[in-house]
Amino acid sequence: MADPIKLAYFMAVKEGASYLGGLLVTDPSGIPLDFRYTEPITPTRLQSILYGKSLEPHLKEEVIQKTLLKELKTAPDLFILSATELAGGWSGDARFPALAVQKSQEQPLSKPGDAFRAGPRELLLQVSEGAAPLRVIFAASVDTVAQEQAVQKLLEAGYHMDLTEPLERVAAALQSLVVKEG
Amino acid sequence: MLGRVKGAMADAAETLRRVFSDPPVREVRAGAFRLQSHAAAGPVAESKAGHDPLSAELRIMPSLEQAARERGMEPLRAELRAELGWARWGAEATVLRMAPLVPGLAARVAVPPLPGKAETRGRLDPPPRPAARRLLDLLSLPGTRRVDPLLKGGGGRSGLETMLALPVAIQGEDIQRLPKGIWMRYSLQMVRNTGENVRNLEVLGLFHLPRKGVGDLRHDARRGRILVRLEAEALKAPRVPFILARRKDDGALLSCYLEDS
Repeated sequence: MADPIKLAYFMAVKEGASYLGGLLVTDPSGIPLDFRYTEPITPTRLQSILYGKSLEPHLKEEVIQKTLLKELKTAPDLFILSATELAGGWSGDARFPALAVQKSQEQPLSKPGDAFRAGPRELLLQVSEGAAPLRVIFAASVDTVAQEQAVQKLLEAGYHMDLTEPLERVAAALQSLVVKEG
Repeated sequence: MLGRVKGAMADAAETLRRVFSDPPVREVRAGAFRLQSHAAAGPVAESKAGHDPLSAELRIMPSLEQAARERGMEPLRAELRAELGWARWGAEATVLRMAPLVPGLAARVAVPPLPGKAETRGRLDPPPRPAARRLLDLLSLPGTRRVDPLLKGGGGRSGLETMLALPVAIQGEDIQRLPKGIWMRYSLQMVRNTGENVRNLEVLGLFHLPRKGVGDLRHDARRGRILVRLEAEALKAPRVPFILARRKDDGALLSCYLEDS
């Protein structure tokens, strides 16, 4: 029997002058298997000046994300993050197909499992019966073959869970951590 | 011979005669040597006082005077001062006397030899090398807080505990897609576990939940899911089918785990 799918949900937020990130690993039901978060990172004023506009992408991709992934015992099958961060030119870790999943307002496709390709990196995926299809956006590093494999895993997990909901949990958890730290 | 002597004598006589003869007289008019006297003006010393004494002329401008009177100002008063220029010059002049030259005071001055090698001055020293300081400190990797999913021992701040404090949304399965035999078995188990008549039950959903560690449950009918609050032991508990139903007569919610085998 194959190992159950592991989905990694990543989010990095900025609170004041500090950055912190969280990585939630769930099973195909959305139940958390692991959750790690970083301590808030507060760049100095000099670092902010020297890094300029590259500060935030560098912190999120090179510092926070890699630090969290390095701590994982097992590699996730999919690396899911927000569409906003993916649209910002996310490079990510090539070992895990990085993608964003978001709800759409499109008409449902004919049946669950159907997909409509809206672009080389974007498609609409009908996960559940009668609901609006999900919009799936892949990172540039994910080729077509890897996209097809990822779609099958999304369908398998989406049968039991809301694929977009865990990211909201990560955001809420980080928010609560910020309040605790404060 | 004698003739020559006579001739010479005659020439000499003629010469002497011409030498001692009276010079020619020319009459000069007496008027030409008459003295003409010209009267020249003698030197006249003109004495001047060095500076003319200053004099001030008082002029009164009727308009200003009137204005000053109206404003209560004192009228302008001129003060007459005089200064004798020569007296001032004499008092301030300094007489300089030059000392006469005294012989024998000259001394021999030795001329210093030219330097054999020119000394270079003003040479720029090489600028000192600045000490390099590294400003670009790499962002240090943040410390991660990792919690074992098994949650052995308690205490401390746990990332997973934080996550477990949040409700987990679990989507219901599509019952219509289940094989009929499985659904019949599930219905039978539901009736047996709840003790209700199957006609009085409305199935709200079939979910896969951990067998243990489900602390709280809330049904989200609009989205066809349940929100569960899990405890730590739920993480290693097996997932089993879980059915949620509503009793039709009073609307009460009923639930039970189902055997998957």
